[in-house]
Amino acid sequence: MKHRIRVTRLLLWLSLFAFVAPGFADQTQTLRDKEEARDFKIFTDRVQAYVKMQKNLEASLSTLKPTKDSAQIVEHQHALAGKIADARRAAHQGDIFTHEVAERFRKIIRSEFHGPEGRLARQTIRQDDASKVIVRLHVNDVFPEGIPLTTTPSTLLLKLPELPQELSYRFVGRDLTLIDTKARLIVDLIPNAIP
Amino acid sequence: MSSIRCATVVACVALAAISLSLSAQELALPLKPDSVRFAVIGDMGTGEKPQYDVAEQMISNRKKFPFEFVIALGDDLYGGSNPSDYESKFERPYKLLLDAGVNFYAVLGNHDSPNERFYKPFNMNGQKYYTYKKSNVRFFALDSNYMNRQQLTWLEKELQNSGSDWKICYFHHPLYSSAAFHGSSTELRLLLEPLFIKYGVQIVFAGHDHVYERVKPQNGIYYFTEGASGELRKGNLRKKDLTAAGYDQDRSFMLVEIAGDELYFQTISRTGLTVDSGVIPRVAKTAGSSSWPALRAGHVDLSCRTVANAIAF
Repeated sequence: MKHRIRVTRLLLWLSLFAFVAPGFADQTQTLRDKEEARDFKIFTDRVQAYVKMQKNLEASLSTLKPTKDSAQIVEHQHALAGKIADARRAAHQGDIFTHEVAERFRKIIRSEFHGPEGRLARQTIRQDDASKVIVRLHVNDVFPEGIPLTTTPSTLLLKLPELPQELSYRFVGRDLTLIDTKARLIVDLIPNAIP
Repeated sequence: MSSIRCATVVACVALAAISLSLSAQELALPLKPDSVRFAVIGDMGTGEKPQYDVAEQMISNRKKFPFEFVIALGDDLYGGSNPSDYESKFERPYKLLLDAGVNFYAVLGNHDSPNERFYKPFNMNGQKYYTYKKSNVRFFALDSNYMNRQQLTWLEKELQNSGSDWKICYFHHPLYSSAAFHGSSTELRLLLEPLFIKYGVQIVFAGHDHVYERVKPQNGIYYFTEGASGELRKGNLRKKDLTAAGYDQDRSFMLVEIAGDELYFQTISRTGLTVDSGVIPRVAKTAGSSSWPALRAGHVDLSCRTVANAIAF
């Protein structure tokens, strides 16, 4: 009799757990999603602030329109890079990729590189790995002339927050850099982003 | 006995010479009225003699085959994009073509600065990816260095809205390649190929691997790699089931003519030797059919000619 009661109790607890547990899991997931959304919102806001600043600085230069004069293109790039670096003299690594954001990125990159397409993603960045010729880049460094920009795995790009066209994510060795494509300037970076 | 052997060798050499000189002179393109005519070059921007040799070959072939424009598959300027680079790696080698009003439509390679899109003679109009139409042909010039969501969405919309008979995509990284150095960009293929199949892209050109290769049709799509118009990785092709034809012994470029429902192509080496040629018929996509490429693959008759002794594996 006692044994039957014990079994019934156990079954009751188990069914209660089975009923409640998914709810807890859902809540935890929702909380995680909210935290992730909050971190990415911080990132997106900082990216937008950067682009606004870049556009303001660029407005003080003569507008770059398609031209036959290649010197104009090069001069514009150098002038813009100079102005941005000057305006961001105090910029540090982590200003845009904050600690929380960098951790989120690392997690996404880790899961991509260890996932089903990980081998292909590694193959893509290995093709033109700039780290063979560059030691390490820092915020406000100009990406060196004549060195190929590493192709960013497209399957990974689909998982990272979208960037405005002024910026792009590029790997240099194991670091993920945020590059101003017009000024060829390193805006921020996550060291050792690739596991 | 030895004189017979000697005579046989002489005869073989003579035959080979005749065949080579014929293939060097022959134009495998029909020059039909109102056809779309263009040249294809890739990985050319070295500024070195072989690039200039290929450019001269293009100029001399234009007398026989007056192509209207050139598509450039990236790595348009190696080693930097200073004014001297634009001058020695583009303006000087192609001067006669540029002076004759031949337009170049470039895409960015991994060695190109994204700011090259502002260089007017590349006709990119400040965009990293763009589209344009020539008669019944719609071209989609993509940036395979950075295939993000924005570009994929743009491409899908443009492909969907294109009512052109021919849809041709070109970009730097090959989705299929038998070259040993880079090989197929499989990861990029996962995203692009479904769109190509869904919206009926028939032809894809890419560079990056410094060889010429024509790949056997994949899901009904014809893939060409022309990455040897300046750079070359001699002997880099590894013969696989994938290869329909290839050439990795010297630099090369392609001439293409689209007349109605047929696309003719001829690949010419730096020395003027025709290393591949053929015709690809257009197969219309049946409206609403999602399985057309498989059907198409079984029905397409691709008649191609290659100079056997020029194909070196």
